[in-house]
Amino acid sequence: MKEVIVHPERCVGCMQCMPACAAAHSQSKNLFQASLEIPRPRPRVHVGVGLFNEGFPNRCRHCDPAPCLLACLPGAIARSAERNTVFIDPNRCINCASCAMACPFGVIRYHEDHTAPPGKTVAVKCDNCYERQLAGLIPACVEVCKSGALRFEERSEAMKRKTDEVARTVSVGAAPVELAPGFALLNAMKRKQIDLAR
Amino acid sequence: MKYVIIGNGVAGIHAAETLRQFDPPGEITMISDEALQPYCRPMISMVLEGSVATEKLPIRPVSFYDDLNITPALGSRVSAVDVDNRTVSVSGKCYPYDRLLIASGADPRRIKADGLGLRNIFFMRTAAHVRQMLAVLPDVRKALVLGGGLVGFKAAYGLVRRGIPVSMLIRSGHPLSMQVDAEAGRMITDELKAHGLDVRVGAEAAAFEGNGRVAAARLFDGTRLSCDMVVIGKGVFPARRFVPKDKIKVDAGIVVDEHMQTSAPGVFAAGDVAESTDIARRTPWVNAIWPEAVAQGRIAGMNMAGHPAAYPGSLSRNVIRIFGLDVMTAGLAAPPEAEGFETLSVTDTRARTYRKLVFRGDRLVGMVLVNSIEQGGVLTALIQSATPVRPPREALLKPGFNFRQLMPA
Repeated sequence: MKEVIVHPERCVGCMQCMPACAAAHSQSKNLFQASLEIPRPRPRVHVGVGLFNEGFPNRCRHCDPAPCLLACLPGAIARSAERNTVFIDPNRCINCASCAMACPFGVIRYHEDHTAPPGKTVAVKCDNCYERQLAGLIPACVEVCKSGALRFEERSEAMKRKTDEVARTVSVGAAPVELAPGFALLNAMKRKQIDLAR
Repeated sequence: MKYVIIGNGVAGIHAAETLRQFDPPGEITMISDEALQPYCRPMISMVLEGSVATEKLPIRPVSFYDDLNITPALGSRVSAVDVDNRTVSVSGKCYPYDRLLIASGADPRRIKADGLGLRNIFFMRTAAHVRQMLAVLPDVRKALVLGGGLVGFKAAYGLVRRGIPVSMLIRSGHPLSMQVDAEAGRMITDELKAHGLDVRVGAEAAAFEGNGRVAAARLFDGTRLSCDMVVIGKGVFPARRFVPKDKIKVDAGIVVDEHMQTSAPGVFAAGDVAESTDIARRTPWVNAIWPEAVAQGRIAGMNMAGHPAAYPGSLSRNVIRIFGLDVMTAGLAAPPEAEGFETLSVTDTRARTYRKLVFRGDRLVGMVLVNSIEQGGVLTALIQSATPVRPPREALLKPGFNFRQLMPA
């Protein structure tokens, strides 16, 4: 089964995945209309910055066993084995933040959402674009990602490619493999600037 | 294989589900004095508050026992465990076992005071307790809560939210002294006081007065407080009266090893009754909290079914939302002074945030977050895994802290 795989070394921190995610989880599914909706649609993928301002798209890993699921008091969090996805039921959620305390990646947010009862704050996180996948689309964050940091692929394929990449770097006379051409330079420059500022 | 599980709380049900997963044909008997379908104990305070309906309490369907082919023995407490003959006695009946799990939980700590027999004096531990409280609530004009722990606090919060004036008597200097540090305790107290709670520190009730029903409490300092309802929230104590102490090692709780096994072969313990090694404190400790009960129940279940699994130890932690405040703590929130702990903290009065980190050497061992708690799980995981903290530690205090900052650059 294909899943969203994050390749952090390729992230340039453009944050386009965030509005794409918010729009995909809006009522209108359209970025411009979504910006006027109440409650305002919010992203479930969060681009955080590292110590050198490098980007990283932080999204739910859909862990198994999922710490959030085990910590959930009202039993609002469930795993769909067939979709390899951990879902939060907004109707059962009681906004107790037990899942915030359990999630080792810090990907759960608390706000109103159009899928929840009006006015109720609930825990919200990535659902692997369940609706889009039913409609034959790939997850919105992957669709919009230009640098290949987010890919929708078979895990085995991603691992094979990664293994090959590593293998190439250890061959005799191997040149360094440019994973994200151009952006590596940009990141190096950013890092230099921050180092100088210190 | 015959399994007996004492307790149908969250540790018990997770153990039962795990047993079923690893040993489909095994015979499972589940004993509990609570005859309800498995429900979520921490949510009873939300029922008192009125934010959650009673019907939302169950966390497993009515058919839970049938679905998992479990023989329920509900309605009475275990009277004895015979470790030599491997049997459990409940109300005259005897259940033989090959593997036993004691997940009997904890009971409210009793207090010594005169007049405890009066009506409208409650503990808050079970769904039944809250049901009784709700029944009298319409006639309550003034309530008194004893104890500033989590239960006392949640009871007070629930009653304040119901519009009932509440006085809270606590012995220590600030509420939640076991969960948070003084600074967070002060922020919580201010928040509750702003919403009408009357907090009295260093105060304790000596006697209750009334004609059949409680009408007033007399404190040790002679003060008389009128009230028509009292909630006793002085903590809990492991429910282990039936445990033979000469056969099973008992400290504050039932002592377990890293496989959740007690000193008696074939006898396991999990949840609020079990005492395991505390990761942050590095000492045996009873961490009577939901997430540990779940983890321990699962680990116990696997080991009972013959699938070895190790438990890394428990960690105290809590998250509470009180009006406009979110408070999350983990590990040593208020470490003992002068024992080689380093503390970093930052307060932002305008944003109403407070963050505190406690380090022992290069390991994070405690944290307190007030508001913007979304990344608290990342910090909790750092404590649990005892990961050496490499990056500038101050980065962990910044509002922009996120998972990426822990990864190699």
